Amino acid sequence: MNVAGSNPFARGVAVVLLPAVFLTVMLLAPVIRLLAEGGVGALQGTVVSLWQDDYLRWRVVWSFVQAALTCMAALALGLPVAWVLARLDFPGRTLVLRLLMLPFVVPTLVAALGVLALWGPRGLITGWLGFQLQDTPWLLLYGNLFFNLCVVVRAGVDALGQVSASRVAVARTLGATPWRAFWRVEWPAIAPWLASALCLVFLYCFAGFGLALILGGQRFATVEVEIYSLVAHELKLAEAGALAVCMMVLTGGVALAYAWIEKRLATPARADAIALRPAAGVFLWTLIALALTVLLVFCAAPLLAVLLRVVLAGSEAWAVLIDEETVHALWNTLRFSASALVMATALGLTHALAARRSVWLRASAFLPFVVSPVTVAFGLLLLYPQWTASMALLIAAYALLAYPFVAKSLGAALDSLPVHLDQVARTLGATPWRAFWRVTLLMVMPALRRGMAFAAATALGEFAVSLFLSRPEWVTLTTLIYQRLGRPGAANLDAALVLACLLMVLALAAFLVIESPLPKAGRRSATHLRHA
Amino acid sequence: MLELKSIRKTFHDPAGGDWVLAGDLSLTVQAGETVAILGPSGSGKSTLLKIVAGLEPLDAGSVWFAEKDITPEPPERRGFALMFQDFALFPHLDVVDNVAFGLVEQRIKRGEARQRALDMLDLFGLTAHARQKVWKLSGGEQQRVALARALITQPRLLLLDEPFSALDAELRSGLRDEFSYRIKAAGIPALLVTHDEAEALAMAQRGYRLVSGKLITLW
Repeated sequence: MNVAGSNPFARGVAVVLLPAVFLTVMLLAPVIRLLAEGGVGALQGTVVSLWQDDYLRWRVVWSFVQAALTCMAALALGLPVAWVLARLDFPGRTLVLRLLMLPFVVPTLVAALGVLALWGPRGLITGWLGFQLQDTPWLLLYGNLFFNLCVVVRAGVDALGQVSASRVAVARTLGATPWRAFWRVEWPAIAPWLASALCLVFLYCFAGFGLALILGGQRFATVEVEIYSLVAHELKLAEAGALAVCMMVLTGGVALAYAWIEKRLATPARADAIALRPAAGVFLWTLIALALTVLLVFCAAPLLAVLLRVVLAGSEAWAVLIDEETVHALWNTLRFSASALVMATALGLTHALAARRSVWLRASAFLPFVVSPVTVAFGLLLLYPQWTASMALLIAAYALLAYPFVAKSLGAALDSLPVHLDQVARTLGATPWRAFWRVTLLMVMPALRRGMAFAAATALGEFAVSLFLSRPEWVTLTTLIYQRLGRPGAANLDAALVLACLLMVLALAAFLVIESPLPKAGRRSATHLRHA
Repeated sequence: MLELKSIRKTFHDPAGGDWVLAGDLSLTVQAGETVAILGPSGSGKSTLLKIVAGLEPLDAGSVWFAEKDITPEPPERRGFALMFQDFALFPHLDVVDNVAFGLVEQRIKRGEARQRALDMLDLFGLTAHARQKVWKLSGGEQQRVALARALITQPRLLLLDEPFSALDAELRSGLRDEFSYRIKAAGIPALLVTHDEAEALAMAQRGYRLVSGKLITLW
């Protein structure tokens, strides 16, 4: 028997070491390097000068405003939709709830192309209505809603499922109308859940890169796009560093608020959930139709538009699928994603196990969400310039962005696992390792698969890190799509759409893995799992 | 006072067959009287209470109160108060705001409602807990807050759904006597559903058992 197997302390160190070292090398050290870029004192001066620069101030303000507007719109549209899905029973309701997972695994670039296919210069709706939204803020806001409406709807459905039926019943008998009972009893119960979801929405939009790069245009791009431009095109590292630090401070604040709200939500689920009402009557069916229309317009339309445009593009555009460049990019995407998935699984597993021993390690699983991919890539460039074109660093960066999904999913499953199971296995003669292998791992396998599926979807759609750290010969499907978009002519746009369709099919394969039946406890955590 | 006339309620079981909760069921509760409905879990006792409260629709029959058909009335207009075994206190409100909840719904100004709630808490010996969040109270204290919240609105009828089943035996016996006293003192008729026969005997003047959707007189 080895030392780690016999000594609980050695076992603990062995489990903690891998994620702790990885996070330090891949995240903390690059962030510290970023802070040190030009010295913290000089950074302060740079921040002041950034704020005096009208152009950069607009970038920061707009990043904030577009995230806040998305939060408001997602709440205004998402809460009524969530209410319909949580309270009314109608044929296809379960399917709709499952399809709400779809945007969680759709790569950012596919969504961006879907929005362009609808509202862009040659978009379907542009053609019908005669006006287009290019170079307006609506394109980015619509793209933001595609991803984030589902986050709010899922959180709302889960939250409404937690509302106590007896409390609402008591409120009604004490004189509250259904509307008053909603505001005085249901709303206070669901508000923390929605606040938690809105923190995530804000983080995704504020620190988002891919959507803002493609849909923001010159005027409505966000700070993350600006950081990329400053590093990749203008080589203004000090300014980029100052902007990245500003972003980290703001996203860190929101992430702290999110963690605080999440802690308050850690209460056991109630057994007396409000029963579903069968849909009957014109009024209820009108509500259902409106809810489904909102989901169709904001969540399904961009994906359907990509499919329709690909079908209409014809065989000439489809030929891109057998193009040597595409085959090469597909191979790179698959091998990078597969390597990252193996690494992310090992890291996620050890991180989840270590998080049971340390509150700090538990909280650190959020770090890759708080620090944006652009900031991570920029920090890695600064700290390890000699490795910027190395495959190991690229795969490790992919794994850094993907493994928190495994860690979070597994962590929730391990928390809900009865401690007696492991104890019984131990008293029956199993060593700690055998008890883990024969009992714990088998019990958490659905959660592990779910986390791996999200991690795979994240790696497949990864874009920001690939742009920063990749070599020209390591082109992936996402970077190839971006290259095609940068080339003039309708044929290149059609080719980009076909490639986006291919990427969507790959992501859907991951989605099908997620779609295997989930335990109820795992559904809520899925709301918090999404790629940025 | 309360009259249930030929009530019918059937649940459709997706696995096949229908489940009769109430089949042509009739019952009266007179002024100032407490009536108990006994029956095992799943017999439909709580559903019957929800039907009276207006929270569950009927298949057939009618609910009358003070010689008026109140079947189409929504719960908030019936003037009844409902108490659950899990107390159903509002966790986002403190004790005094929980008690004042129904008064606010009666469009009484918040300040006055809170003052009247404080007076009620004084009667219940809970003044010291007025500003506390409800989850910090003991089980017995929570149940007394729930009763104070129900009685302050001066309901026309009190509906009690297994009110003491979440409490330990010693506390249950003490609270049962206190509740009986307070309900009688308020002169409010009550309909109690429980699976505990001793509890029913201690609190109710008449008792029935609900079996297969029918009421069988016990005393």
